[in-house]
Amino acid sequence: MASKAEIVFNGRGVSPGVVVGQALKIDRHNRLILKLHVDDVDEEAERYLRAIEAAKEQMTNLKLQLEEKVGSEHSIILDAHRLILEDRTLNAEILATIRNRHANAEWAVMQATDRLVHAYQSLEDEYFRERHSDIEQVAERILLNLSGDRPLSWEHLPDDLIIASHDFNPSNFATMDLRKVRGLVLESGGRTSHTAIISRGLRLPAVMGIRDLLASVSTGDVLLLDGDDGQVVVNPTKERMENMRGRLEAFGSTAESASTPPGMKTLTRDGTVVCLLANTELPNELSAAKSSGAEGIGLFRSEFLYFSHPRGVPGMEEQLATYRTLVREMSPYPVSVRTLDAGSEKVYDRADLGSQPNPSMGLRGIRLSLQTKNTFRTQIEAILRASCDGNIEIVLPMISSVEEIWQAKALIGRVRAKLLKRPDLALSRVPLGAMIEVPAAVLSLESIAREVDFLCVGTNDLIQYTLAVDRGNPHVAYLFQPLHPAVLQSLDRIAEVTRKLNKPVRICGEISSNPLFAVLLLGMGFTQLSMNPLSIPSIRKVLREVPIETSRQIAREALSFPTASEVHKYLTEAVSNLVSWDLATYANEIAAPSTQN
Amino acid sequence: MIRQSVLVSNKLGLHARAAAKLVRLASSFSSEIHLSREDANQQIDSKSILGILMLAASKGTRLVISIEGQDETEAEAAICRFFEAKFGEES
Repeated sequence: MASKAEIVFNGRGVSPGVVVGQALKIDRHNRLILKLHVDDVDEEAERYLRAIEAAKEQMTNLKLQLEEKVGSEHSIILDAHRLILEDRTLNAEILATIRNRHANAEWAVMQATDRLVHAYQSLEDEYFRERHSDIEQVAERILLNLSGDRPLSWEHLPDDLIIASHDFNPSNFATMDLRKVRGLVLESGGRTSHTAIISRGLRLPAVMGIRDLLASVSTGDVLLLDGDDGQVVVNPTKERMENMRGRLEAFGSTAESASTPPGMKTLTRDGTVVCLLANTELPNELSAAKSSGAEGIGLFRSEFLYFSHPRGVPGMEEQLATYRTLVREMSPYPVSVRTLDAGSEKVYDRADLGSQPNPSMGLRGIRLSLQTKNTFRTQIEAILRASCDGNIEIVLPMISSVEEIWQAKALIGRVRAKLLKRPDLALSRVPLGAMIEVPAAVLSLESIAREVDFLCVGTNDLIQYTLAVDRGNPHVAYLFQPLHPAVLQSLDRIAEVTRKLNKPVRICGEISSNPLFAVLLLGMGFTQLSMNPLSIPSIRKVLREVPIETSRQIAREALSFPTASEVHKYLTEAVSNLVSWDLATYANEIAAPSTQN
Repeated sequence: MIRQSVLVSNKLGLHARAAAKLVRLASSFSSEIHLSREDANQQIDSKSILGILMLAASKGTRLVISIEGQDETEAEAAICRFFEAKFGEES
């Protein structure tokens, strides 16, 4: 048995909170192998042996086929694989795990082969070290033969799971029973990745960027996850658990205190009205949005509808039902639906798109919609029809030129004209907005702004494209600097142009959930901030203590520094002087990079 | 019980193909046949390919064979021949 020594990992805390739970490991091949309790161990052992026999037969056939094609010289590796299947030490270990621990065969196979793979990976000789891949291939074959006769069910899982994975596609959230998940820890990723944003929205503490995590974690290990400090402890000691008890209990009880009665206005200390809205994505975030006192859904990311759909493309009726629920629930406040923004982060893997080497600069957002017009028309029709039930808006993502807006408007106009012929539908006016998230859109803001009713600033993408930094790439994640002077200049320009043109503008990036940044945005002139609903109460609290004139001074001063670290130092001091509580965690959140060490 | 030292003398060492042959050879005897590196204590079952590969026995490695059972004499002779013949790979 592997030792149960405590191991401490440090990564990036991307979603706050402290939780303890048991690891549910999703491995490199995206396999999710769970430990289940098996009552009839004889039957389980038989099941394992059947899988082995089936695998052996497949190996024999494969070997024959290969020999026909390339001769027996090259089939030797299959010989070795077959001997691994027959390996009596390995089989004895797996059968003992099944019998002694009442484990399911899949888990027993993973335990044994994981251990072997790690042992082989530590060999010095390169040839022998590489044999770990043979073990992995054999394990894969055994698991394949085990799969199908008992599908994975979340029903029998405990409800204190912490997902441990290399990567985590946002669509994975759709396949999980979130009531059973307490936290998330990943080898990849940074604070602003899509998965991080969803974690915050779901109030799921998360730590990312821990390289080599999976080598030390098995499903069922106890994990202590600290999303505030970015720390994950595997098999924490009793002493450590005792020390953390206070924070664990405090986090467990904050859920209720975040609730705010609806209809509350947010005013700065000197009475400027600020509108706080919610960014949402999953249907189950709606109640969080309502209880946070959000004055509308500032950004509904419609991708979820697509990637949770079995065929990838939900029909008009299905979409209409979702949008209808949103507008009815949020009434009288507006709901802004961002049309499908797929392409980046591979939330929407469609075979006919092929794989794009550089998806964030590829066919995504409005570009994809204008090339798949039937899909786009379906979404537009659903949104327009939902206007019969309440206040809904359309936001177009990834706009980089005014022509894209013209094309989208022409299409929306045609769909609308068709719907207007139907006497049974009482459509309302549906305002149109453009996402400003590409530097080209910032630079041609005047012409874009004249074509739409309002603008939404997607700060995450704007930062990423302005700084040419892939926020999901751990090697350069440290260069993702929200306070970079170029980012602040872009934001300042957006504020100035929209003020001149008297065009409503809303910040829709997660950055506005940071109190320091929120004060900066307020000072620049942004009074509509949309963020994950759970951050709304704390931002409201901060803005209430800030006089508008002071925030303007802070913004003017912040724009004068040449580096992000100077902006950071200044902003932290200036805002800390204004409010009555400790902002250290938030200051760290937008800290200028310490070069990686 | 018989203990005997052998040398891995072929170019590739006790690699996958040779290991497969050794497993087949060892499995043809009823005796328990264990192997260890001369420079390490861990004993492995020579009827397990994963054990043999784990020895990471490259050219020049000395191994110790321990054999116990009814056909131990025959097993020893056959295995020593197998090592001396460089696993039948180099003439």
